[in-house]
Amino acid sequence: MTIWAVLQILILILIVVGSVLAVWLKDLLASVIALGGSSLLLSLEFYLLQAPDVAIAEAGVGAALTTAIFVLAIRKTQRKEEE
Amino acid sequence: MIVALPFAVGGVALLVCILVCMVRLSIGPTAADRAVALDTINTLVVATMILLGAAFNEVVLLDVALVYALLSYVGTLFIARYLEGGLD
Repeated sequence: MTIWAVLQILILILIVVGSVLAVWLKDLLASVIALGGSSLLLSLEFYLLQAPDVAIAEAGVGAALTTAIFVLAIRKTQRKEEE
Repeated sequence: MIVALPFAVGGVALLVCILVCMVRLSIGPTAADRAVALDTINTLVVATMILLGAAFNEVVLLDVALVYALLSYVGTLFIARYLEGGLD
């Protein structure tokens, strides 16, 4: 196993961890933050797979736009998830 | 694809740093801790992109890191304004 494969496997593990956190956390603001981290690392994975334009699109939509819109939605509704 | 070994080792080291920040993002007691962890992950991802752009020896790949560094603060800005109680 080359060190190249180690790099990709580490990124994929981190993406899975971030996605599980986004589903698992009850505080919706923390969930949005975890989703932002997961989207960030997905952009890094696109970058590693030699698709820089897809990485730019993912960075613009995932990091900036999605987080801002979700935070605005949480502001209008409520922060804690109901049981 | 052949990547020089020092670049790959540096990339793995940066990813270990991202892993540590992800631990703080998961256990952080307050939302401010998580927001700071997300901002640190932003910076580390930009650093990894620049390192890999140097490893692949292509100038085009640096533009991605540039656009990302220009866009990544917006999410942190919105979270910070929400925590402060603004955003009306």
